[in-house]
Parts: sequence; C-alpha cells; structure tokens
Amino acid sequence: MKRAVLVWFALALALRGAALEFPQTLKEVHAPAEAKTVAVEFDFTNRTDKPVQVSRYDPTCSCMSVSIRGGKLRYEPGESGVIRAEFDMGNFSGEVDKAVAVYLNDDPDGKPSVVLTTRVHIPVLIALEPKTQKWAIGGAAEAKVIRIAMNHAKPIRVTGVSSSSQAFKHELKTVEEGKTYELIVTPLETKGPALAIFRVETDCDIAKHRTQQAFAVIRKPIPGEKP
Amino acid sequence: MKAIVQMAGIATLALAAAGVTWAIKGPPARVLRCEPSQLKPDEVCLEQVPSEGVVWVDARPRKDWVANGLEGSMLWNIDPAEDMQAFEAEAVTRIASTPRVVVYCGDENCGVSRQVAERIRKLDLGAEVSVLHGGWRSLNEAGRVKGSSPGR
Repeated sequence: MKRAVLVWFALALALRGAALEFPQTLKEVHAPAEAKTVAVEFDFTNRTDKPVQVSRYDPTCSCMSVSIRGGKLRYEPGESGVIRAEFDMGNFSGEVDKAVAVYLNDDPDGKPSVVLTTRVHIPVLIALEPKTQKWAIGGAAEAKVIRIAMNHAKPIRVTGVSSSSQAFKHELKTVEEGKTYELIVTPLETKGPALAIFRVETDCDIAKHRTQQAFAVIRKPIPGEKP
Repeated sequence: MKAIVQMAGIATLALAAAGVTWAIKGPPARVLRCEPSQLKPDEVCLEQVPSEGVVWVDARPRKDWVANGLEGSMLWNIDPAEDMQAFEAEAVTRIASTPRVVVYCGDENCGVSRQVAERIRKLDLGAEVSVLHGGWRSLNEAGRVKGSSPGR
C-alpha cells in the first residue's frame, strides 16, 4: 500500500512539474525619456524530464510584440529558449508594468503557467504638483499654487499656459528659468461647482513630454479631506 | 504489480466518491467568489459597491470596452495608442462631482486596473479609488454588462 501511494505521488509530481523554469519573471528597465520602444528578453530552460510545448504567448496590450527565439515552441528536457517582448512606449512617463502571459501544454484559457512582467521606469521630465488644486463651494476664493519642476539635463522653459474655463484666473511665475515655475490659480468665486483644465506648453525637446496639464476644481468638500 | 492494482483501487474509490458528491451537491460552482476578508487593501467586492454615485473605469482595451463595457463607464487603459491626457481630463470632470471610483479590467489576474487606479490617485482629487475584485468577469456574472445574465 505504501508503495502504491509513493508511485501515485511521483506520478502527480511529474505531471505538476511539466513547466519551464524562468530565472526571472519580473524585469525592471530604466528607459531614457526619449525611448520610443523598449525590448526585454526572458530566458528559460526546461528543467523537467518531459518535453514542454509553449502553446501560446499573449501580450496584454496592442502596444507589445512578443516572439520566441527561432519560432521554436517545443522544448526537450534541458533545452533553453528566449522569449522577447518589445513595447511601444507611446507617451508614457513614470512607472508602467507590461505583462506577457505564457501558456504551456494544455493550460486552460485565463490560467497561463507563467506571467512575465516588465516594469519600465520612464523619467518624469516635467512634474506638476499637485496635479489638481481644489476649493470648497462657499469657501474662500484664495490663490493656490501648482508647482512645475523640470527634471531634465537641459533647461525646459514654459512657453505658455491656457485654461479651459473663465471661472479661474491664472498667473505663471518663474522661480528659476528653465527649472522651476509656479502656476498661481485663483477662482473668481466659489458659489457653485467649476472645473478648469490648464494646458502647460513647454519647449521640451522631446515631443511626448512637451505639453502637460493640471486641473482646478470647485466642488462640495469630501468628508475627511484636507482643505 | 501489486502496487498497480492498489493504485487502481485508490483511483476507483476516489472516482466513486467524486461521483457521489456530484450526484448529491451537483456540479462545482464556477462562479467567482469574493470574500471581503481576503481582499487586498485596495480591492472591493462587487456587492460592496454602492449602486449609485460611483465612477466606473474600464481598464481593458478600447475594443472590449466598446463591445461590452459597463454602461456609463469611462475608458482608461495603458495602451500607448490612447491619449492619456484625454483620459485624465475626462476622469477629473467626472470625479470632481463623484469622488468614488471603481476600476475593473478583464479578470482577477489582470494587473492593469491597479496601475490605472494609481494614476487616478495621482490626480490629487482626494477620491476613494478601488479595484474591482474579479474585474469584468464579476460584472458579467452579475448580469451587469451587455449580453450577460446573472449567474452566468
């Protein structure tokens, strides 16, 4: 009886272990600000004693192309391969995760054996803080500041600010040319709700970072929120 | 040989027990379960979301949102082909008057909704932003999206 149970477990383990071993399933990449694409390679090895079939590999967005070296999908025990993922970075900045789902053998839909994640860090060249300034309806119509800080090797100058609403007036103050600015926003009144979108134009040499936006909102206060 | 016979015996007993369980209790429930005590800090069960006063954000690809997104939801995904500033502007417009946001993506394994939720928090609107446990699948099973019916 003991032997039967051992054989049973051995069989179960052999079936369970029919997978590829990836030394890393998460890779972090620090991309330059001007990067249009980022490519990452994930190595793997079949450490089991059975062949493993890569049945499919799915990118999680249309911005990704995924390939497997040599188009090879079946891996004998001990064989290695590489999955390569290339991402279109579009107008991203900050941190973004991109995943590839890898289905092996008979993995059911939605249950891939492996999910490979690439965490891309793209520098934020123009930081607006806070992104939204808020006033309470009926509160004081006081001026508030949105700070604009440039984090680039070259100076970045603000060339203009436009607003979507007449309910606020705004003024741009230069703290340090090419480095730091302040956008001072003042509501004309706070009797009712209002919203403005401020488009901040710059002379940044990288097009995707050139225009930024910030917001001003007059609304009912949220309980517990700091004024 | 004896071991093989014994293995066959164990398998037969296990199958018989499974068959009896199936006959008495029916097939296994394949619907998504949401246990509030096991949620991640930023997650919420569909049952916990108020029926009104919520901005729903669909973090799936645009074609999926168009095909079967929750009625009244807005789109915000991380597809670089999309205009992120347009997403921001629409989100601020909606959230300014409704500071409760729930983001969903394809299913419980999808990580995009968490990334979108983080981007919404960075708008500094002071909104309560949650990720829907089970994503679109839980909405579908609850009959909340186009072409679905409860319990599917």
